[in-house]
Amino acid sequence: MVAPALLFAAAMIVMPFGWAIWLSLQESVIGGEARFVGLDNYRRLVADGEFWNGFRLTLTLWLLSLALQLVAGTWLGLLLARLHAARGLIRTVLISPFMLPPVVIGMMAIVILDPGLGVANWLLARIGLGPLLFLADPETVILTVALVDTWQWTPFVALIVLGGYLSLPRDVFEAAEIDGAGTVQRFLRITLPLLAPTLVTAAVLRSVDLLRFFDVIYITTQGGPGHASTTLNILAYRRGFEFFEFGYAAALMVTLSAIVFGSVLAFARIRRAVAW
Amino acid sequence: MVVGARRVTRLLDAVQLGMVVLVLVAPVAWMVLSAFKPRTEVAALPPRLVFTPTLENFAELFQRTDFLENTVNSLIVAGGSTALGLLLAFPAAFAMSWHRMTWPATATLFARMAPGTLFLLPWLMMFTALGLVGSHLALILTHAVITLPVAIWVLLPYFDALPREIIESAEIDGCRQHQTLLRVALPMVAPGVVVAAILCFVFSWNYFLFALVLSGFDSKTAIVASFNFIGEGVTNWGALMAAATVIALPPLILTLIIQRRLVGGLSAGAVKG
Repeated sequence: MVAPALLFAAAMIVMPFGWAIWLSLQESVIGGEARFVGLDNYRRLVADGEFWNGFRLTLTLWLLSLALQLVAGTWLGLLLARLHAARGLIRTVLISPFMLPPVVIGMMAIVILDPGLGVANWLLARIGLGPLLFLADPETVILTVALVDTWQWTPFVALIVLGGYLSLPRDVFEAAEIDGAGTVQRFLRITLPLLAPTLVTAAVLRSVDLLRFFDVIYITTQGGPGHASTTLNILAYRRGFEFFEFGYAAALMVTLSAIVFGSVLAFARIRRAVAW
Repeated sequence: MVVGARRVTRLLDAVQLGMVVLVLVAPVAWMVLSAFKPRTEVAALPPRLVFTPTLENFAELFQRTDFLENTVNSLIVAGGSTALGLLLAFPAAFAMSWHRMTWPATATLFARMAPGTLFLLPWLMMFTALGLVGSHLALILTHAVITLPVAIWVLLPYFDALPREIIESAEIDGCRQHQTLLRVALPMVAPGVVVAAILCFVFSWNYFLFALVLSGFDSKTAIVASFNFIGEGVTNWGALMAAATVIALPPLILTLIIQRRLVGGLSAGAVKG
């Protein structure tokens, strides 16, 4: 009974994956004859400044967003636990951002963060700040994307943290309180270590999305201004579908896949290390 | 004294939560408000919160562009890939649960982890060779790559919770495999099928990348059409926000129906890891 699903997966996932690896070993551009070139595409990649620029941007966006979302998500998750608030209307508000289409997120960002006519700069001006260029400034574009993503995904992390927290044994917290541990001490010595496996789970889920970040960047900036937001996935897409350098694009995509799988394996090790 | 301190803490917590809710709601509210603003007031600063709501942005969107066709395309693709994903996942999840197989579930994670661009290149060549680029079928097949893993992962715990005796006794009573599946298992896991169907539909509806490359004029989804509005330099923010509001509605309404189970699933996932 698994057969139909397996056949589908073989045709749509496994075969294309193998094909992509094969493509990455070829020099293949549109209109030209494909030619086997071994690891030439990967050699070119290592020497390509745009690749390293994309690599740096991908890592920056990943670390920045992950840090913001884990910190804010833990804070919000524990806040929800204290208030028993993840119900009804509040629950709807928490789920909505990460269920919205990325295109909608991008469109809202374009309108709200417009340097001239956006309401964000108008609000900043009320408190004597700005104006900022947000997505239009090479210096702030990655930070802006990270903040938009944090807006969208912090509730997701918070709900995971809340679930993890509610499953923790109560008596440990009571014992700590009786022993006179302060709030900060309780958080650092008890809550955080006990929540560590939950946080690693949240980190894996977010990392997989963040390392291959595409939608919101492509929708708002297409990788610009200049190359300031051309992360690896954007670079691979543009090489493949705008410049039609199939072989080189495939090499970029295979490399990015390896980075994502590598990070998942690394997190699996961390997960075992923080298990209790 | 202690009671007073607790009350203050609780009040501070409530204020923090209120701020979170405000930050999460404000952009979405802004989008919806802009969609209903008269054209002259959409970009007005300071922002007008009191205005006469109008439907002119929606009228322009549906009359002057193909957005209605695009929305129908989105419905066909999301509906088709949801049906295909469930059709493949239902028997597979049943067998995986029954035989306690874990590797296919892990294998589907693989598809979830690889960047979509990786599959897109061979798909483009494959569908070009088959003459399917620009067809609804190509989009349904590629979106099923998204829906299949989702359906399997949602259905598995529901099948795991089925008492084995019921299935065994159905087989002893002479039920064929597909009869057991349809007449015995399906009614019992129906709530799971509903959750899976809704999540599949939302994920397929929202998906951007595959349709960006593989859709043609006749199969362009509302998501890609909205993206094109931005690219065409549509300075009419009212119409842009009207489009955003239209495509945001199905996911918001559908997830509202299953929000309790969704949050329950997230929590369970966190505990199991």
